[in-house]
Amino acid sequence: MSTWLANAVDRGGATNDWLSPKRQQSLELLQQSRWPTRKTEAWKYTSVNMLVDATFAETSDGIFDAPELIDNLDSIDLLLVDGVLRSDIGDLPSGLSIYSIADTPIEQREWAAEVFTGAKPSKHYFGLVNDVLATAGVLIDVAEGVKVDRPIRVICRQSNGCESHTRILMRLGSNAEAVIIEDFAGEVKSFNTGFSEYIVGESATLEHYRIAMNTGEAISIGGCHFNLNYRSALNSTVVGLGSSLSRLDIDVNHIGEYATAKLNAFYLLNGSETFDLHSSIEHIAANGTSEENVRGIVADSSRAVFNGRIHIHRNAQKTLAELNNRNLLLSRNAEIYTKPELEIYADDVRCAHGATIAEIDKEALYYLQSRGMSKAQAQIMLSFGFINELVDQMPNQNLAAWLRPHLRRRFAEMESTQ
Amino acid sequence: MTEQIDQALEREYEAGFVSDIESETFAPGLDEDVIRRISAMKSEPDWMLEWRLKAFKTWQQMEEPEWAHVDYQKIDFQAISYYSAPKSMADKPKSLDEVDPELLATYEKLGIPLLEQQMLAGVAVDAVFDSVSVVTTFREKLWEAGVIFCPISEAVQEYPELVKKYLGSVVPQRDNYFAALNCAVFTDGSFVYIPKGTRCPMELSTYFRINEQNTGQFERTLIIADEGSHVSYLEGCTAPQRDENQLHAAVVELVALDDAEIKYSTVQNWYPGDENGKGGIYNFVTKRAVCHTNAKVSWTQVETGSAVTWKYPSCILRGDNSIGEFYSVALTRGMQQADTGTKMIHMGKNTRSTIISKGISAGRSNNSYRGLVRMGPRADGARNFTQCDSLLIGDQCGAHTFPYVETKNPTAIVEHEATTSKVSDDQMFLCQQRGLDAEKAVSMIVNGFCKEVFKELPMEFAVEAGKLLEISLEGSVG
Repeated sequence: MSTWLANAVDRGGATNDWLSPKRQQSLELLQQSRWPTRKTEAWKYTSVNMLVDATFAETSDGIFDAPELIDNLDSIDLLLVDGVLRSDIGDLPSGLSIYSIADTPIEQREWAAEVFTGAKPSKHYFGLVNDVLATAGVLIDVAEGVKVDRPIRVICRQSNGCESHTRILMRLGSNAEAVIIEDFAGEVKSFNTGFSEYIVGESATLEHYRIAMNTGEAISIGGCHFNLNYRSALNSTVVGLGSSLSRLDIDVNHIGEYATAKLNAFYLLNGSETFDLHSSIEHIAANGTSEENVRGIVADSSRAVFNGRIHIHRNAQKTLAELNNRNLLLSRNAEIYTKPELEIYADDVRCAHGATIAEIDKEALYYLQSRGMSKAQAQIMLSFGFINELVDQMPNQNLAAWLRPHLRRRFAEMESTQ
Repeated sequence: MTEQIDQALEREYEAGFVSDIESETFAPGLDEDVIRRISAMKSEPDWMLEWRLKAFKTWQQMEEPEWAHVDYQKIDFQAISYYSAPKSMADKPKSLDEVDPELLATYEKLGIPLLEQQMLAGVAVDAVFDSVSVVTTFREKLWEAGVIFCPISEAVQEYPELVKKYLGSVVPQRDNYFAALNCAVFTDGSFVYIPKGTRCPMELSTYFRINEQNTGQFERTLIIADEGSHVSYLEGCTAPQRDENQLHAAVVELVALDDAEIKYSTVQNWYPGDENGKGGIYNFVTKRAVCHTNAKVSWTQVETGSAVTWKYPSCILRGDNSIGEFYSVALTRGMQQADTGTKMIHMGKNTRSTIISKGISAGRSNNSYRGLVRMGPRADGARNFTQCDSLLIGDQCGAHTFPYVETKNPTAIVEHEATTSKVSDDQMFLCQQRGLDAEKAVSMIVNGFCKEVFKELPMEFAVEAGKLLEISLEGSVG
């Protein structure tokens, strides 16, 4: 165990709130688990050595990157700085309730405690760390049949040199609909774990975004976990930029029949960044579908890791599952590690996965240059096209419109380092 | 349908008989002394014994791997006998006529008539029975061509320079737990050397047979194809039906020097255990090839036997323009577990590799493909294509795919595809509507599913493989 963790566990053990029994369980599991090394399958390609003796401030100095406004998004904004809810919860549409986890009313605690460790597999080492240490965070409840027409944007920022643990818990009642944007960004040196858990009720629909844009020296480890009930639908998009260490685990559990999940993820890496994405789709019930598209562009001396697992349980007959991972490798010093996994125990299913790694098509490049474009322009255009397909598929086009200039800027940076 | 699957599961293992041959077998147990005795039995030179002892020390420091997707009772390495030889081997036969007739009958039963049919088929055979190589056919004819094909124990005596130079050069002693064990206790196996520019005049073949109870088989095969040479090598395996699990931990090393080509084909039909998973062979094998400039190594395997298989024939594409191929059909039924695949390590420029893996799971078995494709920083213009298809028969089995892809070179291209499906009702309907019965239809569909691999096998093996698959699938789909 690292000295940082021993220290953190001491702090966590001292916490006494309404979630303490759950935290205690996680603490015990954590003490039984081994500190992840390169020999741990889930951390084979990403080292967390830098955390072993790291020290971070526990309290905020109050300086953080101010959140950007997103034009026309008209979102319900919740600002969390270092995991603590800063904005006042104003008037909410009827059927939508939001609380700070610390101030959860007694009558909401029972289900909230269940959700707290309900969707996230206990094998996630830093998920357990988050269980123990995330004392603040938000709780969002959408009542049955309620369609929340404004997106909920949870803006998570870190202050310089600080360690923080953020938790988002959300429940959608049956037939409910909601859009949630988890907006993590910042360039400051910080360490954060950001985990979110969703229970999607019968026939409910969740549109989900995780903007994972902590860059520079930020160490960012997080996860999004979903329990999908009967006939519910999830549409999730993950946008990633790398940092000195970025790790994200997406887990989708089809616990009810006829649930559908669509998962798109793309990441653009530059400098010496690392982005490590693990996804796991558990088809536990029958007749579910899942479609996953992951694309990565890796430049300079950055590293991309992708592990995409599809697990079809014995009873999950008639499942349709697809996973596609495509990567563009732009530099001689960059590295890509990909592992699409299938684990299938039911026979009447259709499953497929594919993975490719290559550089930009030389002929396409030549074609554009022969039409008068500079090589740099042509490269940006082709890489942008590679990603844009997924940007176009984002259901919320206001968010996509805000994202595009960010991506363009990133492409220009990537180009200049080559 | 379930009934028919059950029927299929009850199918007897045809090679499950025991041969009543007097044999000399070491008492179970493993320590330095046993290794010294093995070495002494083989009258090995000192360097060989030292090499074994070093491997044994290494093995003692290692831990049994647990990462494979298989579940089996831990092996008690002290309960295994590490040496067993037919007694009549004490005076090694000079020719076939002197071989114990019971032994020959065993091979006859297995469908390996050592002499007559080989004459017709033109295949040279080295037969390994438990721990020793019993007979090698066609040695003179091969000798004329300059090809060395003999038991490895003999090669240690007669060609020590070659053995010293290449043994352990592809699979180092501490490569993995079972390879280290093999280095310490290997008893026999085949040795092949093809001289420069020679095309081996016939196909070489080894048949492995475990006969004695409580013995492990640890064979070691070393094939060296010198510059510009070519060889095709076949390997087949069977074992009697026994209630205890038996360990087979072999190491195969292939060295393809510049412009050489090695084609290595395996039909593995070790005893798979009964329908409840009792007995059967633990097949923990390390197979690896090194390809130098412009060399080509092609692994083809048909895996239908063993209770637990743990096998990854690999290619290290060290030289520029070298080629690695892996074609595999793995069929599991009953309680069998297979975790098999390949590693393609691209080091040289313009290296190419192709992986075609077909997994068929039936009964309550689990069949996993585990593969690694690594593009090193120097592998400019390297290319890999991987295709893994799984076919599920019945709803109690599992099919899994664990491919690792690692790239450090932007000019390298890697493609991986995997699909999983079952024999579809539509396919069955179409075949049956054209007058085929269900069984023939399944056999035809499965054969079609495996065609890409079967066409890579030498003809005699392709026939055998097709037959094996057909028997294994008998009645498994309705």
